[in-house]
Amino acid sequence: MSDKISRRSFFQRSAAAGALSFLAASGLNKPVYGMTNSQEIGTVIDLSKCDGCKNLETPLCVSACRQKNQTKFPEPITPIKDYWPQPKHEDWSDKRGLTTRLTPYNWNYVEHVQVDHNGETEDVYVMRHCMHCDNATCQKVCPFSAINKDAHGAVSINENICFGGAKCRDVCPWGIPQRQAGVGLYLDIAPTLAGGGVMYKCDLCRDLLAKGEKPRCESACPKNAITSGPKEEMKDYAKARAQEIGGYIYGDVQNGGTSTFYVSKVPFSKINEAIAATKKAQDDEKPGRPLMPADVENYLDTEKGMAIGVLTAPIAGAALAAVTVYKTLKGEKVDD
Amino acid sequence: MTNKILRQSRANRFIHWGTAISILLLIISGMGQLPVYKRYNVTSLPGGEWLGSFFEMLDLHYLAAGILIFVVSFHLVYHALRREYDIFPKKGDVKESYLIIKAMVTGGKEPPADKYLAEQRLAYAFIGVNVVVLILTGIVKVLKNFAGSQLPETLIALSTHLHNLATVLLIFGIGAHLLAFIVKANRPLIRGMFYGTVDEDYAKERHSLWYNRGRGKNITKTKDKEVKQKNDSQNKSLDA
Ligand code: HEM
Ligand code: HEM
Ligand code: SF4
Ligand code: SF4
Ligand code: SF4
Repeated sequence: MSDKISRRSFFQRSAAAGALSFLAASGLNKPVYGMTNSQEIGTVIDLSKCDGCKNLETPLCVSACRQKNQTKFPEPITPIKDYWPQPKHEDWSDKRGLTTRLTPYNWNYVEHVQVDHNGETEDVYVMRHCMHCDNATCQKVCPFSAINKDAHGAVSINENICFGGAKCRDVCPWGIPQRQAGVGLYLDIAPTLAGGGVMYKCDLCRDLLAKGEKPRCESACPKNAITSGPKEEMKDYAKARAQEIGGYIYGDVQNGGTSTFYVSKVPFSKINEAIAATKKAQDDEKPGRPLMPADVENYLDTEKGMAIGVLTAPIAGAALAAVTVYKTLKGEKVDD
Repeated sequence: MTNKILRQSRANRFIHWGTAISILLLIISGMGQLPVYKRYNVTSLPGGEWLGSFFEMLDLHYLAAGILIFVVSFHLVYHALRREYDIFPKKGDVKESYLIIKAMVTGGKEPPADKYLAEQRLAYAFIGVNVVVLILTGIVKVLKNFAGSQLPETLIALSTHLHNLATVLLIFGIGAHLLAFIVKANRPLIRGMFYGTVDEDYAKERHSLWYNRGRGKNITKTKDKEVKQKNDSQNKSLDA
């Protein structure tokens, strides 16, 4: 109840939201952003609303995602070879049922931590999936161009091109994409010597977005904790929500900006510490349970100076050549 | 001691070693863009750890790319302004290089050569085309990395695949270039790339057209007509 009111009051406050307030009032499962095809989508994940579906074995957002994507899950060809010369490979196919971390068979999960805040112990549930970054590091530096960012801003991995080197996971500040060996292009090339499988992650339900529909996890959430819509408006909505509850936002500036905005009453630094502590207590060092560090720089942005240097190099080289030739012509030195 | 004559000017040596060093760094750092050093345990070699950092490798790739582009544009503008095209492939080079290799194998007489042997000119073209492709596709890759830039998917994919293909071809080309110095007859050129000069006798014998032209040039400036005559006679000797 109160949720609906607060959302509506926000939209009424917002100047450009005349049409939206109507849509918000008339129910959120309708396509709000079928308006233009090339509009970037943002998602607000409101931790003050999510209760982790704690009465269910699997949170609804997670089971909905699994159900929707089950046809895309990898079917590895066995026996799976090791990544020569390493005596290992990544195989999650016997842990398909795992719902408590990111795996090739589980593209979102809910992290549960307890955080002390203002003298109280709060249960915090954080639904995690790909942040769909603005300058998506994974997409930009994929050496096979297997990752694409579409007009809605959905970052997705093409399972037919991906070679499974896991570079995207290494460069992702949250280590989001997860690898399954024994599938993909590398099997046709040199399966023992190179490649490692295919990387899998949330694709923001890009097929649904293209039809003007909502991501499946959002539709499944009984608490309306997940809200997507035109990105700038979602950012404003996150800000307004944060102000309303005296809380914080995560995802708006990290990695140079993303299209996922977490809102929480509890500072994210505390959530981050709590996740780290839980993982440590469980001795969990495997990828697939991302932290929430506040300072996440986008390395490609910090590299800009170098890049500009590269782009001015031709002018500098040409200028030096012209000067050198000019000097020679003036007879300063006759060199062959 | 035999006389030495100038073969590679300071500018040429700067160009050669500038490209050689930057390309070496580009190959190392380009491989560092691929997830290979960790997997194949290169990072566990002493001092090899930094090779495993994609971003340090990208810094190095950018730095070396800057050097390469600087040197290549210097090279193109410098020789274009001076109208020096000795190293551009000419008509008949494929046939001529075949004759040279045949002569080297059989110990027969090589056709008279200009400053560069026909296969050197072909090697230059092969390496040159790949380097240009790498630079152009590399620039697309740099542009795509800027925040806020979303280049068309097909352009990114095309430049990635061309960049990778040209890398493979260039590595072959450089391998062949270095292997060429196994052949004894080519070795006197090496000192030219370091010190600028080669033995006069060697030049007279192996690059007679260039040598004779050079002597003329020492007196006056190059006479275009003379060069043309030389080229004509060269073609004739080939036809014969
Ligand atoms: C001889 C020259 C070069 C070689 C052998 C080389 C090799 C490579 C290789 C193997 C990769 C990794 C695969 C890939 O991402 O496609 C790469 C990536 C890259 N190269 Fe080069 N490269 C050369 C020149 C250049 C130049 C001149 C530039 C810039 C103008 C450049 C810019 C890049 C960029 C931006 C990347 C991608 C890194 C990223 O994903 O952001 N490269 N190069
Ligand atoms: C350490 C290694 C290298 C050595 C000792 C070396 C040596 C030489 C020598 C002696 C020449 C000139 C021959 C002459 O005067 O006619 C030459 C030419 C040339 N070098 Fe290299 N080089 C090396 C590496 C490279 C690399 C890495 C490249 C990069 C692409 C390169 C590209 C060229 C080109 C394009 C030419 C002109 C064409 C030709 O003569 O074949 N070199 N090099
Ligand atoms: S986001 Fe919604 S569906 Fe997911 S755990 Fe929280 S309340 Fe349940
Ligand atoms: S969160 Fe990671 S995987 Fe998702 S878009 Fe950003 S860099 Fe890529
Ligand atoms: S947006 Fe789609 S793919 Fe991503 S977590 Fe939600 S349901 Fe899964």
